[in-house]
Amino acid sequence: MGRIGLSVLIVAAGFLYLPLVVLAVFSFNDSALMAFPLSGFTLEWYRELAGNENFLRGFVTSFLIAQPVGILAMLFGLMASLALTAPGFRWRGLFAVLLLVPFLVPKSVLSIAQAMIMSRIGFERGATALILAQSLVALPFATALIAAVMVRLDPRLIEAARDLGASPWQAFLRVLLPQIRPALSGAYSVGVILSLADLTIAMFLAGRTQPLSLMVASEFRRELRPDLNAMQVVVLVLTAVLVGLSEAYRRRRLKKLAAEA
Amino acid sequence: MTFRQRHLALPVAAAIVAGCLAPLAVLVAFSFYEVEDFELVPAFSFRAWGELAFSSTDWFLIGKAVLSGVATTVFTAILGYPVALALTRLAASGKGLAVIVLLTPLYTGEIVRIYAWRIVLGGEGLVNTLLQGVGLIDEPLKFLLFSPFTIALVLTYNNLPFMVLAIWVSAEMVDRRLIEAARDLGARPIDAFFRVIFPLTTPGLAAGSLTVFALSAGEMLTPSLLGGTSGSTAMALVDNLFGTAFDWPLASALALALLATLFLVASAMAGLLLRLKGARAVVGRV
Repeated sequence: MGRIGLSVLIVAAGFLYLPLVVLAVFSFNDSALMAFPLSGFTLEWYRELAGNENFLRGFVTSFLIAQPVGILAMLFGLMASLALTAPGFRWRGLFAVLLLVPFLVPKSVLSIAQAMIMSRIGFERGATALILAQSLVALPFATALIAAVMVRLDPRLIEAARDLGASPWQAFLRVLLPQIRPALSGAYSVGVILSLADLTIAMFLAGRTQPLSLMVASEFRRELRPDLNAMQVVVLVLTAVLVGLSEAYRRRRLKKLAAEA
Repeated sequence: MTFRQRHLALPVAAAIVAGCLAPLAVLVAFSFYEVEDFELVPAFSFRAWGELAFSSTDWFLIGKAVLSGVATTVFTAILGYPVALALTRLAASGKGLAVIVLLTPLYTGEIVRIYAWRIVLGGEGLVNTLLQGVGLIDEPLKFLLFSPFTIALVLTYNNLPFMVLAIWVSAEMVDRRLIEAARDLGARPIDAFFRVIFPLTTPGLAAGSLTVFALSAGEMLTPSLLGGTSGSTAMALVDNLFGTAFDWPLASALALALLATLFLVASAMAGLLLRLKGARAVVGRV
């Protein structure tokens, strides 16, 4: 690979990570002002954060909302992928277009329309509404991940299992599921990550529920504060750990599958 | 009727119809309703649509959304091509790492990114301090934060990974020998790009453009939190009409007009890109 190509990649990575690095640096900076030059190293902002009950509550709320979103995105993504790859499915094209709708309609338009219909039919806005709406937005991503793996599988394996007397359910559990488990864990992480990253949907549908992103948004309209930096870094690190774990799991599964084959 | 695998589409379709299509349909109905004493009353009134049709502000904001989506698409495409092409030259192990490097910034929350850019671009932020330190400028550059420049920069930042991924996937499928042949026959690298690589990667460019346009045109948070006085958006106005002003019919009409305009522009864009010669060759073959 040429020198030009390498420098392009380095510049691109620098651009993508620059804001995050600056954010992290100031969370350890010994000054309440976010200005250069840096004044020294401190853990003060993290200590302040640990004593902040609002933050801890917001964090637990966000986490508890993200889990069902991940699970729902995975389950519905799995069902959608099974349907998309089913033999003799006449409405496949239409169904695929339908799956793109939550992705193509801007989140802001979708959430405001959902907020209107909910208040009209008396469905209270809150955690449940937020979970359902976020799962819907994650669905196209989850489906893409699972379906991409399923179309590459050898259909003869399922056929062989069925010929040897396995019920469809057994064939699914014993033959298909082990092969798509890495993709399922990917779909789950995408749901969790999109839920943790979301602010737009929460603004319209959270009701009295206060996830972290909403708390940060209301705090930050007023001022920049280093303990908010520290909070962002904590969220970033936890998300990275989550991604790392699911990636490690995926790789281990893939290796195991390769060893079995 | 016995259960078949394809029937699993039913619950999924039902969820999308109930969660996406029904709310959009209700938007259509509400746009014809009337508001009396802060009460939404079913009616068949063209008041909201009439008001919208003659509101220059509303159409200006819809135009702004289109412009912001198109500009973000163009910027990400220009920056995305060199990155995607460089990625195709990596060894297989490097590619796995590159995917993680590329996707990790997307995992950060919307609000985290907005917050981080405020620190980078502020009067005493990284960029201004560096430029002053080197002696290029005497006063902090004011246009860096709370300006149209900020909106363009951050929207480009937010969407670049999607564009790179789409072009990259397409570029990986280009037969390397075609490029070598062009070079052997005397094409300069720039000619090889515009006559061979670009036409053959237009399907990826089209997919990336559609994605980036859909994600950036309706965005309201980045402009409102980083755009300063230039940060007004159609969706912020819809939000205002919905919440503070309690004019749901006008809010619905404006949201629908925005959605329809974005849909038309996106279809035109995809159609245009796919009509290019190379795209026809690639898509026709599949």
